[in-house]
Formats: sequence, structure tokens, C-alpha cells
Amino acid sequence: MTGLRVLTVDDSRTILAMLHHTLSNAGFEVLQAEDGKQGLEVLESQDVDVVITDINMPVMDGIEFIRNVRASGQHQSLPILILTTETSQDKRDQGKAAGGTGWIVKPFDPEKLISVIHRVVH
Amino acid sequence: MSELDDFKATYFDECTELLTELEEQFAAIEAGERDADRLNAVFRAIHSIKGGAGAFGFTGLVGFAHAYETLLDHVRDGRVEMSDDVVALSIRANDIVADHVNAARSGEALPADYGAHEKSRFDALCRGEAVDADADGEPVEEFDIEFTPVRVDIGAVPADDAFEAPPFSAPAGHWEIRFAPHQALYARANDPLLLLRELAALGEVSVRAVVRDIPVLADFEPFGVYCTWEISLVAPGITQGQIREVFEFVEGDCDISIVELGADASAAQPAPAAEALPEPLPAEPDFLSLAEDEIGAIGVSALAGSAGEAGPEGDAFADSPVPSFAELAEAIKPAVAAEAAPAPQPMAPAAAPASAPPDDGERRGGGVQSIRVDLDKVDRVVNMVGELVITQSMLTQQMDETLRARYTELVRGLEVLAQTTRGLQDSVMAIRAQPVKSVFSRMPRLVRELAVKTGKKIRLETIGENTEIDKTVIEQLSDPLTHMIRNSADHGIETPERRLAAGKSETGTIRLSAEQAGGNILIVIEDDGAGINREKVLQLARNKALVAADVQPTDEQIDQLIFAPGFSTAEAVSDISGRGVGMDVVLSNIKKIGGSVHVRSWPGRGTRMTLRLPLTLAVLDVMLVRVSESPYVVPLSSIVETIQCSRAPFERVPSGGKVLQVRGEYVPVIDLAQRFGMPTQADPESRMVVLCEAEGGSKVALIVDDIIGQQQVVIKSLEENFEQVEGIAGGTILGDGNVALIVDVQGLKSTIHHKNAA
Repeated sequence: MTGLRVLTVDDSRTILAMLHHTLSNAGFEVLQAEDGKQGLEVLESQDVDVVITDINMPVMDGIEFIRNVRASGQHQSLPILILTTETSQDKRDQGKAAGGTGWIVKPFDPEKLISVIHRVVH
Repeated sequence: MSELDDFKATYFDECTELLTELEEQFAAIEAGERDADRLNAVFRAIHSIKGGAGAFGFTGLVGFAHAYETLLDHVRDGRVEMSDDVVALSIRANDIVADHVNAARSGEALPADYGAHEKSRFDALCRGEAVDADADGEPVEEFDIEFTPVRVDIGAVPADDAFEAPPFSAPAGHWEIRFAPHQALYARANDPLLLLRELAALGEVSVRAVVRDIPVLADFEPFGVYCTWEISLVAPGITQGQIREVFEFVEGDCDISIVELGADASAAQPAPAAEALPEPLPAEPDFLSLAEDEIGAIGVSALAGSAGEAGPEGDAFADSPVPSFAELAEAIKPAVAAEAAPAPQPMAPAAAPASAPPDDGERRGGGVQSIRVDLDKVDRVVNMVGELVITQSMLTQQMDETLRARYTELVRGLEVLAQTTRGLQDSVMAIRAQPVKSVFSRMPRLVRELAVKTGKKIRLETIGENTEIDKTVIEQLSDPLTHMIRNSADHGIETPERRLAAGKSETGTIRLSAEQAGGNILIVIEDDGAGINREKVLQLARNKALVAADVQPTDEQIDQLIFAPGFSTAEAVSDISGRGVGMDVVLSNIKKIGGSVHVRSWPGRGTRMTLRLPLTLAVLDVMLVRVSESPYVVPLSSIVETIQCSRAPFERVPSGGKVLQVRGEYVPVIDLAQRFGMPTQADPESRMVVLCEAEGGSKVALIVDDIIGQQQVVIKSLEENFEQVEGIAGGTILGDGNVALIVDVQGLKSTIHHKNAA
């Protein structure tokens, strides 16, 4: 399970830093992007095993990002987890409809985060 | 816990930026720009602040931000109108968020009900829409979401709440699960294998793949879904909720039934395809007493065993082992191991490749073009570059004519060094430079508040927000600028009635602009108000004995009096500009950062205050001069020209002093040797005049013994190292190790005024 590459996409540096800490401690390699557009750029040039993305971001939000990833044709089976503070169902549904694999509710518990990743990635 | 502190520091930095952004957005929103982009930006800012606050357990902030965010969400999708009231409430809410952030940063506790009033107004606003929609006035359900923050305890292994056994215990813990994925499940990159693996982490599993629907190859569709699974799970103490959680992400993308064998019929989930369920595997009570890490290994072997058994049995479901069962078992092994030992140490070799700094990842990501560097580190570079500049100039000074002739290669090398040093210095300064926007953006709000307080109508124009200045200068700029704008709003701009009576438009304008002019930044605050009331200023100055009764200063000198220490018309007029300090504080603050202030006023038409600030605090381009035996430096930016004394058109004035006639203008002359009390032996004819321009374009001529040359110096504060000296702006260490004093042109010129005035 170690050595997997995770792309984290969030406009909050705090969240990116915390994800980085938790994920790298669990043995993942962490890539970062600050909005959906940057996320797509990373995916163009890098192989990643799983994506964790925020929804509310400038430039390109998480929903559009997921839609674009799925539409690209190369990442049909790339697990994408949505990071969301919304406890409401509609954001998740939107994310799922766009092709999101699962979600993580912020603020995340580090162990829960890892176990959720295990749920979606080999 | 220092990592947590680091995250907190990042978070607070981010909050500062987000709060500034909020100010900017609301300045535009207030001005009527209420488009979706702005509302989204505001929503995101609050959302981000809330997100981080939740991670650190700042519950007060989370609670408030959540309520505010909900309102913004309502506004964003049109459920609540962005009326002026809502804007005003939001601006107030921004302040409360900022207070919460500050309290969290300093560790202070805010009252529990802090912001409760605003919070209840958010509720009311959101509900207000609901009342319109359905008459019973029930709160919108969405609004009742309780946002429960989870404190993140980095480093420690967190308590595994999610997997903790519920207070009641299931009698047997035998579950039968049917799982039939739809195509959508695969389209969203979920993988049945992983779900089965996660189930295996809950207890003892036996998995049967139902493959009877797999068609012959000719009918096989590549993306068709033909396989379903039936799982027996033996997991005492596990609730149905925990099993459901495994399938959380695929709900709606699969048919699933979860039935507890031997439990009440009422507790059982209806199975969509109610067929005879296979017998569950017998429970093996021995497992239950095993330590957690052993369960994993045995679980896998038991699973592999049951796979072997399932094959030959071949019951009514035409069960057969999944071809990749060994793979499944292999896949489970690390997963279970990971569950057992979830937290590798940060220093463990396995974590090494991934624990590279985040910017490494960003660079590889290719999307991010900036890095964040601690200011201390930049300052260390700035200081070292400063020292390098000194060393370089020292080397250059050592080269006399004979050496130059003899070592041409060395000279060339030194020239390149000088160029490179200069380039290095510019680049380093550029790192510290920031747009003045960060300060300017706070002003619209100030003006708004002042307008309300004074009952005047004031419009603020800002120009040149992207002009960049040294970060330290920017930080020091906020207070003086605030003070000067207060002054303009309070004393400059008239009431609407008076403006109308004077034939002006009702709304007064304050224009704030920044531009680079040579080695300086000019910040100009202009208003179209009444101008400085010179009579009143002069009278006050006389009352305070700042100006002798028999002296009649010029208009310009009167205007400058508002910066004189102890002079403040503020308290006489209102409480806004006053606050016990006058404009003299502005002047001293600006001087502290090496700048100067000049004011010019046109009665009835307005006032212009000009701040001249150095581009950088560290290095100054100067002319090195000699007075008697001592070196002095004059800032190059203030020098207009130099003239030999023998050719200078001096004229005597009746008082006995000298003036210099320059292109029809009479310029006061200061002999630096005399002024600083240093007797000089220099031939009066060979001495030099350095014509300098002080603030507001007025000139002063300095007489020095000799001009040595032009160079760059690193400014050292005289006040920090010695004490303030009139006429001297600071000191510097020259290449040869000598100390040279920096002449304060503006200060010297004002001493003439004082003398005249006295």
C-alpha cells in the first residue's frame, strides 16, 4: 500500500499541508495542486493512483475537475475522492454524478482518511 | 506537536490573506458589483477559514463561520437577496470572523455568545426565504445541519471511533451480504475487490462469486456487468451501520442486501432477490480471543481455505471460486497489516520518499509557480547582499590609477562583479517587494466608516495598486496612510450641504495613488475638499508657540505646520482624526522608514499629501562627498546637479546669508562645514555646490569640500546605534571601513525655516 501516488487538490494551503503530512506518514507520495485546472495539468504529466479533491475552488471547481478527468478518457478507473465539509447530501451527489468515487468529510480524521483511501485504491 | 504548530501557522497566514481578500471583495460588492464570481470568492474564503478551523478544533470560529457560510450559500443561489442590509451584516460578520481568528491565534477566549446576535440574524434571513416558500415558517432543513468539528491529533494514533463497538452487542454476528454492482459503480472507479477487502477487515469473510450470468464469449460486452457476490461475514460486535459504511460510496450504484442471520425478522433487510441463502460458515470462536494483528493473518488463510471449499461444493448458485482468489487473498494481506499497524513513524524509511517538502511535489506537478519562504531567510540574503555590496565597493575603491593600468584583467573582473552585485541586489529586493494593494485594500472600508461617522459623502479612488514596495515599508505604511485618510475625510472633505453651496458635487473624492519615481515610491493622497484652513492653522501654531508671533510664514510653511510635533487641530474638530495623536506621528513614522511627507493645499479646492518612500530600506544610491576630513553621503535621488563654487552664481542677501541663483530661482545655501561645526582648510574656490531638491520641489544648495564619487551604501540607523541627530538621516560603513553620515536634505532645509521663523 505504500509508494502509491496521491494527487491532492485544494485551494487551502492548510488542508494541503495536513493532507501531505497524513499521507506521507502513511507512505504515500503526495502531489499537490491548488485548483482543478492545476490538477488536470498534473494528471497530464504524471501517473497518480488516487486523487483527493476539494469542491469549492477558484478557477475550476472540484465538480468540473472530476468531470474533466472522466471525460479525458485516460482516467476511467482513477479513484477520485471528494473532500467536503458539507454534510449535506447534494454536494456528494453532484460529485458522484460527475464521476467521483467516494468522499472524505473535512475535517478528516487521519486514520479514517487512510482507511477510505484503502477502500478505493489497490 | 510542532508539526501541528506549523499547520496552525500556515492556517493563520492563510486566514490573513483570505480576510484581506474578503475586504477587497466587499469593497466591490458595496460598490454594486454583486456578480456570481465575487459571491463565490467570498463563499470560498469563509469556507476555507471554516475548514481549517475545524481541523484545529476552533469550535467558536467553526460555528460562526458555518452559519455565515450558510447565509452566503443562500445568497449565492438566490434564495436570499444580497440587499444592502445583507452586505452590511456580512461586513460585520467578516469582522467577527477576523476576531475569532485573532482570538484563536493568540489563544484568548472570546465570550461564548460572541457573534450570537449576527448568527441569529443569519438564521432569520435564511428562514425568511423559507417562510416565503412554504407558509409554515419551518426552518429550512439544510440549515439545521450540525457541523461537528473533529480535533486532529497529529502524531498520536487517533481513537478509532468509527470502528468502536456499539453499546449493545449483536447476538451472533453472522451476516449474509449480497452485492450486485451496476455499471455506474465501475464508471466511478470503485472496485468490488477493494470493498470485499474492507469487509474482510471487519471480520471473517467467505466470498462467493456468482458467475452464472457471465455469457459466452461471443455475447460478452466489454463494459457489461455480469458478476455479483455473496459474502458471509462473521464479525461479532459489528453493526449493520459499519457494514453499510463499507458500501457507503457505492450506494445507488449497486443492489445490496445485508441480513443478519438468527436476528429478528424485523431487523433484517429485505433482500431484493429472496432466494434460499447458503449456510453460513460455522463461527470459529477461537478467533475472537486472538490479538488484533493475528486476526489478519488467520483471516486470510481462512479465506483462502473457504475459497478452496467453495469450488467443489457447487450448490444451487453454481458457485465457483473467483479465478483471482489468490490475488484477493494477497490483496487483503497488506490491507489487514495496514489496519493493524496504521501509523508508520515519520522517520521510517518507507516514508522517506514521500516526506519531501511539499514544493517538491508542486514543482513536479508543474502547476505552481511560487514557493513560500520564511521572511527571515529572505532578510538574511538581503543583509548578506548588503555586505557584498560594501565589499565590492571597497574593492573598487582600492583600485588606484597605477593598479588599474597594471591589472587590466582584475579591473575587468571587478567591473563584472559590480554589475553582478547590482543585479543580485535588484533581484533580492524584488523578492521582498509587494504590491501596495495589500494596504490600499483596507482603505475603502475606512472611508466608508468615516463617511457614515461624519455624515459626509465620500468616494475613494485608488490608482497604481500594483506598484511594488519593500515588504517592511508596506507594513509600516498602513498606520500613516490610515491617519492621513482620516485627516482628509475629517478635515478635507466638506459636508454635502457645504459642498453644494460651494458649487461642488455633493460627493467628495479622495484619491489614493502610488507610483514609482526613480528610486522612490510616491504615494499621493489627494482630496477635493476645502483645503487647509491656513488662518486657523497659523493661529493654533502661534497659540502653541510653534511659530513666533512676529513671524509670517509662507503658505507652504503653514501647510507643513500640520506635521509639526504637538500640533493637532484634530481634537478641536472631532474625535475621528484626533485620538490624541496628530499628523506629527505620521511624519515620524514615515521618517522611520526613510521617507518624507509633503503637503500642499489649495484653499477651496483641496489638499494633496505626498509620501516619498524609498524603494528599499537596505541600500541607497549616494554621492560620497568630503566635508573637512570626514566623508558624508548625500542620497543620489535628491541631487539635481553639482557646480564648482568658483562658477556658482551666489548672491548675498541683506541678512548676511548667501543664496544661489539657479535659472531665476533663489536657493538657500548651507555650508555643511559650518553647519556641522567642522573647520575646513579647503580653498573656497575649489569647493563644490551640491544642489539638492527637497520635498515639494523646493531646493537647497549644500557646499562641500569635495565630491568623491557615486556608490551604494547600506543604511544603518543612527537612532538605534547612537541617537537622533538633526540634519543627519543615518549612517553607513564605507568600503574602507570608515563611517560616513547620510545627510538629511529635507531636515537641513527645515532647519533654515526654523531659523528664519525663530
